[in-house]
Amino acid sequence: MHRTRRKSPIGHVLGLAVLVLAVAGLVSSGSALGGARQACGTVTLNEQAWAGSTANTYVAKYVLEKRLGCTVKITKIAEIPVFQAMADGKVDAVLEDWQHVDQYQQFVRKQKSVVLAGSNGLIGHIGWFIPRYLLKQYPEFKTWRGLKGKEQVFRSPESGSQGMFLGGDPSYVQKDKELIQLLGLNFKHVTVGAEPAQVARFMQLIKQRKPVIFYWWTPQYLNASLDLVEVQLPPRFKGCKDDASSGGDIKQYRCRYDAYPLMKLFSKRFATSGSPAVKVLRNFRWSNADQNLVAKWIAGDKVKPEKAAERWVKANAAKVNAWLK
Amino acid sequence: MASVAADTVSTRPLSHRPWWRGRLVGVGVVVALMVASYRLGVTTDANGVAVARFPWPEELVWNAFPGHLDAFQTWLLDQRNAEDPSIVFALFNGFATLVDSLVSWLDRFLLWLTWVGTAATATLVALRFGGVRAAAWVAGALAAFALMGLWEESMQTVALMLAAVALSLAVGIPVGIAAGLSTRVQRAVTPVLDTMQIVPAFAYLMPVVILFSVGPGAAVVATMIYAIPPAVRITALGIRSVAPNTVEAATSLGATRPQILAKVQLPLARRMLMLGVNQTILFALSMVVIAGLIGGGGLGDLVTSGLYSSPAMAILAGAAIVIVAMALDRATEATASRTDPTRRHLDDSARRTLRFLTVGAAAAAAASVALAKELGAPAAYPEGRSAQEWLLARIQSALDYVQDPARFLFAVTEPLGNAILVHLVQPLQSFLILGPWFTTLAGVTAIALVVSGVRPALTTLAMFVAIGVVGMWEPAMDTFSQVLVATGIAVAIGIALGIAASESALVSRALRPVNDVLQTLPQLVYIIPFVYLMPVSIVPGIVAGVLYAFPVVVRLVERGLRDVAPEAVEAASAFGASRTQLIAKVKVPLAGDAIMLGINQGIIMVLAVVVIGGLVGSGGLGYLVTEGLVRGQFGQGVAASLAILALGIALDRVTQATRQAGKEVLA
Repeated sequence: MHRTRRKSPIGHVLGLAVLVLAVAGLVSSGSALGGARQACGTVTLNEQAWAGSTANTYVAKYVLEKRLGCTVKITKIAEIPVFQAMADGKVDAVLEDWQHVDQYQQFVRKQKSVVLAGSNGLIGHIGWFIPRYLLKQYPEFKTWRGLKGKEQVFRSPESGSQGMFLGGDPSYVQKDKELIQLLGLNFKHVTVGAEPAQVARFMQLIKQRKPVIFYWWTPQYLNASLDLVEVQLPPRFKGCKDDASSGGDIKQYRCRYDAYPLMKLFSKRFATSGSPAVKVLRNFRWSNADQNLVAKWIAGDKVKPEKAAERWVKANAAKVNAWLK
Repeated sequence: MASVAADTVSTRPLSHRPWWRGRLVGVGVVVALMVASYRLGVTTDANGVAVARFPWPEELVWNAFPGHLDAFQTWLLDQRNAEDPSIVFALFNGFATLVDSLVSWLDRFLLWLTWVGTAATATLVALRFGGVRAAAWVAGALAAFALMGLWEESMQTVALMLAAVALSLAVGIPVGIAAGLSTRVQRAVTPVLDTMQIVPAFAYLMPVVILFSVGPGAAVVATMIYAIPPAVRITALGIRSVAPNTVEAATSLGATRPQILAKVQLPLARRMLMLGVNQTILFALSMVVIAGLIGGGGLGDLVTSGLYSSPAMAILAGAAIVIVAMALDRATEATASRTDPTRRHLDDSARRTLRFLTVGAAAAAAASVALAKELGAPAAYPEGRSAQEWLLARIQSALDYVQDPARFLFAVTEPLGNAILVHLVQPLQSFLILGPWFTTLAGVTAIALVVSGVRPALTTLAMFVAIGVVGMWEPAMDTFSQVLVATGIAVAIGIALGIAASESALVSRALRPVNDVLQTLPQLVYIIPFVYLMPVSIVPGIVAGVLYAFPVVVRLVERGLRDVAPEAVEAASAFGASRTQLIAKVKVPLAGDAIMLGINQGIIMVLAVVVIGGLVGSGGLGYLVTEGLVRGQFGQGVAASLAILALGIALDRVTQATRQAGKEVLA
């Protein structure tokens, strides 16, 4: 799907050139693989809303189309409904999932209609962040202990006498209310809604060089242009948990967030289809820095996703060839 | 109720003492008592922060409720994905597949025609059936899609929406007719419609996906849930508003019931039916973004992903959605009025001419498609030759201005946002959240009793108890306070603009497109700039509610004022009343009925965007519903949605009963 480009008269020459290149690419990659391989057919990838996911999806699309001759369709179904879409074989693969434990239980373990296809190489990490300029005046803000008694620095009209803590997007794992309570901090946890709204909130404060503390994570392309510092939270201990929505004893949340690998998911149907795309997507791995770069091109510099993918693939032939092995 | 009777008796002919004035005293007393008890109920915690001494008691919460709902969803998932699922699921799936293929066939057909062919065919069809204005709207819309470089996405959305609107009408009109003919059906259907309209789509998206999978079929189903109610309601109203003596006359002439329906009631209700079609289109188009979340594709997808990585693109796609809505609406409206049998009387020669024109238009359309294909016109207008880059750059520079806190605008909007928060929302919020639960409960019930009577008071009591029992007391009180503020602002703006519109045709005409834009432009598109301009949570959500609700208030107030009996106005002006006096002392009191309906509808509209508020920081129930969908916490999402519904029903009954009481007084 996404955008079937039709050539305008002006684009004819260019179109021809692309065609020649594509054929050449096919021939060369074909010969590299010894020519003996199954036809790829159509692969449906699901792009999630955030820029990093767009980067994954379009890089994979570029490689599958240009190097394997697949036709790649892109759907944009929300994070939870996409599990049923995979169970129905309407989506073949999701290239970045932030560990939806309940859905893994239902679709991966119980029904076995969705298959975990390993990590995409990215390490997701959540924490409390502040802009670096705050450290000049308050070097003690590097750790949570330093925040104690100075919460008022983060006051805002909506937090009243307390400091304001900007909470994260509701779709992400979090336990900040619990941490605030457990650490005895005088913060008011303010929910700012979805990611774009949260970005809007802290960006306004950062532009005015005002104090702000918020839930944030890596990989995120904005991190490259924002100078943020993570506030050190208590160390992890055995049995410490991150997802407060699962309830239970509040004490089990008193530690910093874990860093965990982001997963790829295949539909069972795709995983067992024997398509050459399966192997390539299984091998698909890159780093936080790679993704941040491509996502920044797309979301920051407004480069078309197709172009951004092409640029990265051309500059990283070695990484891409490793996926094709 | 006795005081009400006394009020009515003491009213003088023209300067009606409005029915609510006597009640205002009662409401004032109740609120004063609540405020007094609030002071007793609040205490402070270790950090010196005010907390409730009497929050809703844990013993009165049905804690297992969300768990049961989660278990139900798991059961449904297991059944649905079992080795051999029951025939019921096959039926649902079959329906979805049917709609899937219908939509994708339509979409492919539009592309097969080539963009030239589609443009020529659509314009000719509009010209033949809707006239020049309709053709101009259609051609203009198509030109806009081409210019925006969004041809293909727009065609996907048009295909999806044509299917959704057609199916909504196919269900809605027959049900509406049944409800119009039978009070019993009407009574049975109303709560279902209320539920469909108030329960946020986020709550039923997962069940829809489980039953209908993802794709255009599921997207159409989700859209239908929201778009059917206006079709039913307005059709029923149309049938009911046919003068009873007309029906009696037909009966006495020996017409059978089906004959009366087909020959008398439906033709006479035609204008209402068309209003129903119009509202169904607008309601359906307001679901484009949500439909995108479950595979609807098209412009909705661009809005969602645009919000994260390219806000300018989200705004452009949002504008395209509005254009789809307005073109569909104006074209159907023009077609309806041109083909209105009561307005045109065709003789044989006129009929022949029309037939000739139809054939001509069809031939011209076919010829243009053939020619376009011969000349190799592309399926979609080439993006490379659009003005998309230029448009995006313009939008981006506007966004850059809005997002820069050093600009003048920010210096105005930030303090305004803070003022709304500190002086309006926060006092009400702490009043409702921190006040003792039993005085709040007694207070709202007493207000309902004073304003509307016993039945609405009992409903209100039951609804607020239900909110507490599903464990949503605190977030619901939070949302309640925000709804009150948003409705208050929306009603104030709505009444002011409604009066202006009723006095001036120019204002009235200028407001119509504003109304269409605000009803169909995805809220997230216009609300993100407000997050930058008024960076305090809650306020952008309130702005969303106000912007979504006030046009409805304007329309109803305007209608009410225009419908005020001309004799009353003439009589007052004969006594030398000035224009201001006329409005304040005659028209507004006499239009109290319509104004109350405006308040009532305003509340419902504000509740409809509570979830959007949750996405931009309003917290409360909206946040919990969102979290329910995005974190797969089905039970919590449904519980919060039920609390929204309960709040909606309570507020609706209170204001609706007032409306009826007002009607009695006026009668």
